[in-house]
Amino acid sequence: MLDLQGYGPRLIEGAGVTVQLAVLSLILAIILGLLTASAKMSRNWFLRRTATVYTTVIRGVPDLVLMMLLFFGGQIGVNAISDMLYYNYEIDIYINFNAFAAGVLTIGFIFGAYMGETFRGAFMAVDNGQIEAGKAYGMSDALVFRRIRFPQMMRHALPGLSNNWMVLLKTTALVSVIGLTDMVRVAAEASRATHEPFVFLIPVAVAYLLIASVSEWIFARLQKRYDIGFGGQ
Amino acid sequence: MAATPTPLEVRNIKKRFGDTEVLKGLSLEAQKGDVITLIGASGSGKSTFLRCMNLLEQPDDGELYVHGEQIRFKTTKHGREPADWKQVVQMRAKLSMVFQSFNLWAHMTLLENIIEAPIHVLGKPKKEAIEHAHSLLDRVGLSARANAYPAQMSGGQQQRGAIARALAMNPEVMLFDEPTSALDPELVGDVLKVMRDLANEGRTMVVVTHEMSFARDVSSKVIYLHQGLVEEAGMPDDVLGNPQSPRLKQFLAPKY
Repeated sequence: MLDLQGYGPRLIEGAGVTVQLAVLSLILAIILGLLTASAKMSRNWFLRRTATVYTTVIRGVPDLVLMMLLFFGGQIGVNAISDMLYYNYEIDIYINFNAFAAGVLTIGFIFGAYMGETFRGAFMAVDNGQIEAGKAYGMSDALVFRRIRFPQMMRHALPGLSNNWMVLLKTTALVSVIGLTDMVRVAAEASRATHEPFVFLIPVAVAYLLIASVSEWIFARLQKRYDIGFGGQ
Repeated sequence: MAATPTPLEVRNIKKRFGDTEVLKGLSLEAQKGDVITLIGASGSGKSTFLRCMNLLEQPDDGELYVHGEQIRFKTTKHGREPADWKQVVQMRAKLSMVFQSFNLWAHMTLLENIIEAPIHVLGKPKKEAIEHAHSLLDRVGLSARANAYPAQMSGGQQQRGAIARALAMNPEVMLFDEPTSALDPELVGDVLKVMRDLANEGRTMVVVTHEMSFARDVSSKVIYLHQGLVEEAGMPDDVLGNPQSPRLKQFLAPKY
């Protein structure tokens, strides 16, 4: 039987960190992605420009570099703000820029850019007549978005979204570099200590596969739900 | 002062797309119970004119009154646009539109399509909206299709469903944008029948159509547009039975 030499509970904890990190990053990425898509489709020049700069920068710089920049740079930034508050207003706060938050922010930020493109394409695929019908019946833009554009867009976005999610899930492994003990870091430590890398890394690989399979199942169900009414399901 | 305000009045509507002026100053007044049909060759501006009435297109000039209330405009760097979108949204809720391509919401069943705006725009209780929807479905002969999705219905059924959706708003005025043009010939009759019934019960309607028999039998006024201008307008018997302008004569000729 597989002997995890007492690392079992820590690996499971690490897996928990991975899942939490991935899900929270996904939520942030979806929010940023929707905002980016809206900004890119906006007729406001400044919003369009900002969104383009965001997606260009994020997609052009390695994830690892961004993560270290945000983690180390973020702490310096937070320190500078709290120093300023203390000297000028005698407000004494100390914020520890924690690795988990840095991980979520970075990954969410990176994938927000990819999601932005996914959502933009999906929004443009919605038939304009559907939107016009909403407007013609007295719906506000917000209501049209919530009741018509979003549900119809999702159908087109899900394949890309599911793909982004798979990549995002695996990108979480990078957080071990900034000191977060996800399952990869636990496995790496254990491998070094015991000189038995396969014993720890294969279960980790299987765990990723398992999470990926469960997500595929969830995405397939979502696809079915958003395909309703469009035939061919 | 009239007892009830005019449901819909537009004055001197102008619209250009790029260098082409498609509407060159069009006016229309729909009193309660009027059925006004807009006819004309394609490119004459009739659909654009109709879409200016609920501001799916923004007219470059002209005035718009719905139920006596004037819609306010302002000029921005993007051109002329409504000053208050809230007012526009409220105005649109009083004017239901029936589209050439039906535009029933594809992700909702027919019943959901019909109760959507009454619930979310008018704030009607769900139960009441559903009851009303069933009576409307009955009326357009689609009781059996309440739970069908638009993609599962024929074009004629979709258009009758779209008319039920329009009626569910209890609109002040119904706008029809070539409602039978996308239908197979054998399906046109059912849709026209529903529209005739609506006209007979005193609904106020503005109809863009190519169906001359509908225009002749049902309308209280026919307007013939040519290149963004009113070429001829009046009672259907006069305009269609005794056209004055050579263009209208030519436009009507091939149909007889």
